[in-house]
Amino acid sequence: MPQFFMNKRLIILLVSIIILVALIGFSLSDRNKLTWPEQFVKDTTGWVQTLVSRPAHFVVGFVDNVKSLQDTYKENKELKAKLEENAQLKYQVQGLKKDVQALQETLEEKESLSDYTLMKATVIRRNPSQWTELVTINRGDNDGVEKNMAVITSAGLIGKIKSVAPNTATVQLLSSEDPANRISAFIQPKEEDKKNKSKTEVFGIIADYDKETKQLIMTWEEVPNGLKVEKGQLVTTSGMGGVFPKGLAIGTVEKVEPDENGLQKKVFIKPAADFYDIEHVMVVDRAALSPEEEEQ
Amino acid sequence: MRKVLIGCLISFMFILESVFLELLPTDPFGKNWIFVPYFLLITILFFSVYGNRNVGVLYGFVFGLLFDIVYTEILGIYFFAFPFIIYIFNKLMRIFHSNIVVVSVMSLLAVSALEMIVYQVIKVINLTTIDFASFLHLRLLPSLGLNLVFIVIVAYPYKRLFEKYAAELKE
Repeated sequence: MPQFFMNKRLIILLVSIIILVALIGFSLSDRNKLTWPEQFVKDTTGWVQTLVSRPAHFVVGFVDNVKSLQDTYKENKELKAKLEENAQLKYQVQGLKKDVQALQETLEEKESLSDYTLMKATVIRRNPSQWTELVTINRGDNDGVEKNMAVITSAGLIGKIKSVAPNTATVQLLSSEDPANRISAFIQPKEEDKKNKSKTEVFGIIADYDKETKQLIMTWEEVPNGLKVEKGQLVTTSGMGGVFPKGLAIGTVEKVEPDENGLQKKVFIKPAADFYDIEHVMVVDRAALSPEEEEQ
Repeated sequence: MRKVLIGCLISFMFILESVFLELLPTDPFGKNWIFVPYFLLITILFFSVYGNRNVGVLYGFVFGLLFDIVYTEILGIYFFAFPFIIYIFNKLMRIFHSNIVVVSVMSLLAVSALEMIVYQVIKVINLTTIDFASFLHLRLLPSLGLNLVFIVIVAYPYKRLFEKYAAELKE
């Protein structure tokens, strides 16, 4: 027995395993804030990484720009056609906005779940180990970023804020397989169903991500009320999960399958945003208060 | 002088892993492969063989901790795994002749060992549902390919740089 305790390496190994387990347990616990050494390290490394990653992006972006010059003529033609459509849409949106405002005033509702303000940010690093899909952006506590805020690109929702340091914040992407990463969502009805007023949005929770097909998985409890989900339907956030605003684009339905128990349906969703090629993102600050804020 | 240079080189590799991923085009081969760069670990492994073992293990601790805080936000995994792998790697290298090809092949093995250890831990704490077969063909094999290319590029320059460092230490 004394020999066992004399073996220095074995003791070191055992002690470090204990520390390992304790540290993992500590970081997996549902903590609201990072400790100050973590915040400090994240901010300082973030500053250094901005210095390196900006020029790298610039060089790669320049090469891409030169490549895309070749397609300019064709793209220009398409864009011109789209521009005309856009002008029409603009008038429509203005009209609709006025309608909504008037309706809200009659309802005396000041803020709806779909009101939000946007804050632009740039990605400065990405987790190379890729077990948890985390990217860090160059906005933090000082800019008003808070935990659990939604983060979008121009294409759609990409994730939510996981932790905040004074000048940087970490975004957990939807492609993370973390079971705590849940988003409540609506499947929008199809155009032809919209006229039929009895058919409304299908509600479900996005809780998983399929790495092999790169699709989000939403669980949906099918209620026998005639609602059907088909390929191609749009999926958006519902605004009921607490902090996300309503109506952020998530993706389109790919296929529907019964789950293992046969009680629920699994809806596979092709994400609208690209989770890999992210450079510029926007942090979404919802105007309506979350339940926690209302309590305070 | 070389000490500072090597510190800078390792820090640069730490940043390069993230920048490399940001610049990697989406799904370059259309097969949903996941490429995990291990430039940092490979650099420290070469340093520990040709330069100084104990300093190598120390670098493993420091950059493992940094990696955990900055990238993964799960403290402990790389903090523990980096020094462990580097230590075992050096124990094994005593048996073999430190030929450049042997070191390269062994560091690829070390990369796979690290991947397996981290996979097991992540699986235990329930952060992934991927099964072992998909882990092998979606993640491990493509990553080994990427890191093999990296090793082929840097092996010879690293050997010369770190041997000069070791010679400087002896004087």
